[in-house]
Amino acid sequence: MSGRRWACGVVLALVLTLGCQPVILHAPRDGAGAVEGPGGALGDLVGMPPLGATAASFTLPPIVERRLDNGLTLLIVEDHTLPLVVFSLLMPGGSAFDPPEQGGVATITASLLRKGTRSRSAEELAREIEFLGGVLGAGAGADFSNVSGEFLSKDLSRGFELFADIALHPTFPEDELRRARELMLAAIIASREDSSAIASRCFGAFLFGDHPYGRPSSGTEASLAALDRSAVQSFYQRHYVPDGAVLVVIGDATVDQLASAAEGAFGGWNSRAGSPPLLPLPVRVSGRRLLVVDKPDANQAHIRIGNVGISRTDPDYVPAGVTTTILGGGFGSRLVDELRIKRSLTYGAWSGFNVHRMPGDFRAGTFTKVETTGEALQVALDVLTGFANEGATAAELARAQSLRTGQHPRKLETPGALAASLASLFAYGLPRSDIEAYPGRVMDVTLEDVRRIAATYVPTEDAAIVIVGPADTIAPQLAEFGPIERTTPEQCGTSGGPSAVR
Amino acid sequence: MRFWRRWSVAGVLALAVAGGAVSVDAALEIPVERSELGNGLTVLVHEDHALPLVSLYLFFRAGSRNERPGITGISHLFEHMMFNGGAHSAGKFDDVIEGNGGSTNGYTTRDFTVYLESFPVAALERVLWLEADRMRALAITPENLEQERGIVKEERRLRLDDSPNGKLYEELYLAAFAASTYRWPVIGFMADINRISLADAQSYFRTYYAPNNATLVLAGAIDPAQGFALAERYFGDIPAQTPPLPVINTEPRQRGPKHIRYAMPAELPALAMAFHAVPATHPDRPALDVLQTVLGDGESSRLHRSVVREHELAAGVSVSYQWGMDSELFWIYSKLRPGRSAPALESLLLSELARLSETGPDEHELRKAKNILQADYIRSLKRVSGRANRLGFYETVHGDYSAMFREVDLWEAVTAADVTRVARTYLVDDTRTTVELVPTRSAR
Repeated sequence: MSGRRWACGVVLALVLTLGCQPVILHAPRDGAGAVEGPGGALGDLVGMPPLGATAASFTLPPIVERRLDNGLTLLIVEDHTLPLVVFSLLMPGGSAFDPPEQGGVATITASLLRKGTRSRSAEELAREIEFLGGVLGAGAGADFSNVSGEFLSKDLSRGFELFADIALHPTFPEDELRRARELMLAAIIASREDSSAIASRCFGAFLFGDHPYGRPSSGTEASLAALDRSAVQSFYQRHYVPDGAVLVVIGDATVDQLASAAEGAFGGWNSRAGSPPLLPLPVRVSGRRLLVVDKPDANQAHIRIGNVGISRTDPDYVPAGVTTTILGGGFGSRLVDELRIKRSLTYGAWSGFNVHRMPGDFRAGTFTKVETTGEALQVALDVLTGFANEGATAAELARAQSLRTGQHPRKLETPGALAASLASLFAYGLPRSDIEAYPGRVMDVTLEDVRRIAATYVPTEDAAIVIVGPADTIAPQLAEFGPIERTTPEQCGTSGGPSAVR
Repeated sequence: MRFWRRWSVAGVLALAVAGGAVSVDAALEIPVERSELGNGLTVLVHEDHALPLVSLYLFFRAGSRNERPGITGISHLFEHMMFNGGAHSAGKFDDVIEGNGGSTNGYTTRDFTVYLESFPVAALERVLWLEADRMRALAITPENLEQERGIVKEERRLRLDDSPNGKLYEELYLAAFAASTYRWPVIGFMADINRISLADAQSYFRTYYAPNNATLVLAGAIDPAQGFALAERYFGDIPAQTPPLPVINTEPRQRGPKHIRYAMPAELPALAMAFHAVPATHPDRPALDVLQTVLGDGESSRLHRSVVREHELAAGVSVSYQWGMDSELFWIYSKLRPGRSAPALESLLLSELARLSETGPDEHELRKAKNILQADYIRSLKRVSGRANRLGFYETVHGDYSAMFREVDLWEAVTAADVTRVARTYLVDDTRTTVELVPTRSAR
């Protein structure tokens, strides 16, 4: 951490993780939420000072909204804190809309935006962006594709010109497609060195089966090999369109300057396409399904347990966040307490809802040395079952509410974080007032809400369970949990692998 | 939010000199006040009311460089034990922080250990009380030690034993350093993690967790007078201790390249190439930062263009230069693509380094590197917590937080000739160590 390589996760996380090694964090954390909740067993420490006055609640800066003739919505915010300008363009259509035989096309399309436009080669783009000390890139989530960047505010017009160039005029050169495909193939192979990454990917595939949310956004070796330029162009034409998209611009300039830069760059964008169709509803796993992904040389086993959860627009979104914070968010959560603090079985344990436009998943995760795989799984299942059956205590609810509300302002502290948040709310059709209403909604969550959500979504008898580790060693420890399916890191998530579709 | 912003005339001139090149001309400072308590605790306060929050960063000058063989990893193990809380808060530390809306964590480096909390301003006194409680009298018990020993062993398995990248990093430092206490990993050797005793932990606490060996940074919705008064109220009665013995890191001069191959299960080969460089406070350090940026920052950097684009040997290449109290390594890391060989990558890296040493960077490359460094500096100020972390780093490693505000000027002053000179001085055969990861399972 010493030094300035603090952003080592940003570019090609797979190959650069080494630069992050000196930082030994106390633990992986869920940075969730603020003010001491009601009750709790915390007031009884001898000598602890009282709380100070509660500060004013978080308020959003003024946001100017404009809708262009082409259907693009602009959201503009002045922010003179630092001489920076950030922008975030979000368009409906991400990797869940990869055609079935074209897995990875959303991701590769995004990665190729910087690799050639009508007026610039890949090398010229890299040189110009980096000469400004700027950041510019694109990516694909499950439901959306995005282009975002950050420049010094004195470079507002040049930054915008580069931004619009890659978003609107990419040429997808054949040689760049070949390069991108080979980099993605290398990344897929390298990711098999990481048991946690294997567990996450295989869990998604095991739970969702052939549903688009189960397919890896990187594609597979087979699907990448088959991707050609027409597939990329077709994805681009279908999904990179202004109608229904949102562009958030935040920075150290006046609203007029920011708006005219945005309108100048994107006002002439006139491509059209229909909105992406709604995806089918994912189907919950019924019964307990156990998959072991064989990694013969591993010293640890990585565990994921879950089932289908909620969508981003579910009315239970806020209470679900509080519920999972009680179970697996922060050091005071149940999973951390039972697996880490009481038994030293692991360095990390957590739970969370992955939300999308359609219901995503709820999953809990941990890892432990191979010898204690069965024990850790049993403890985790006991915690989940106890929580699903009995809900939480008042003190647990108060901790989760405080953590969630207290950390809420930090989640919007940087212009980039605020831009991403505003873009996301727009994309899901949610009001911006949700940001300011959030702390109040968190405090409104009741023990009955927690009990209901835990009973509905925290898996007990119906669960997909994935364990990555040396199969021959861990299988005997898992006998009591039910029949085991086996696969390999190469096979899971490919068409020949196990599927949870029913 | 009150930043003091100076738009310097010199920057505008640089723009003209660079022939249309755009230079970053903002030198940013943030308001900071410094005080020292009677017991030697250094206190820094940075006031910023943009959010109703405070970030507390408590730095101890105790990292793995302060260890010795037999107790490697004790600094980091100790960091874990600190979350058990002090005499009045044993077992309650995390609960009180999170129950009052705060997040808490810590990290350990070769040079120092840091404890950090970000919390609503209403919890300020409680958090100070908790931090002072554990600095005054940590609950060091056999149960606490055994609990954290088990957890840290899982952490080592995760980060090193099951991670080809982590193992390569461990092997690189072990191979490059003969004597420096930088040679072992921050997390320590497994045998030492198993061996550390309660007496070791108690002795470590007495020696290093003293107010005169620490810096407290308070940043956010707090004014300096209030910060100093509260620091005095909660920390003022903790007695100073005899300062720890200084670490004398006299690494003997290396007189020829070293080459290590090690085998472990992995999908793809990888290569790390390191050179002995200089401490953070050395006058050549800013030029080495520029060199690092020219070589490895971004897709238009020299090594990315050569290794990734032209020769297609790897999916990426990174260049790291940690800022350390002692002489750190300047090193290059790359994971090979399927079917490519480490020796081919090694010779390509050597030829690129030779080319740079021969002719130096051109003016455009130099300007680009400075622009990147300056923009990164500005980005590092985005979060109040990030500012607290930086201020503590400079106070701890440079002995002066305000060294932070001189960085941009130091980079700006670096010339092409400086970059050429440091390349010729440090990136040489005599101080080179190369570590090659040989996968025991062949890649498909």
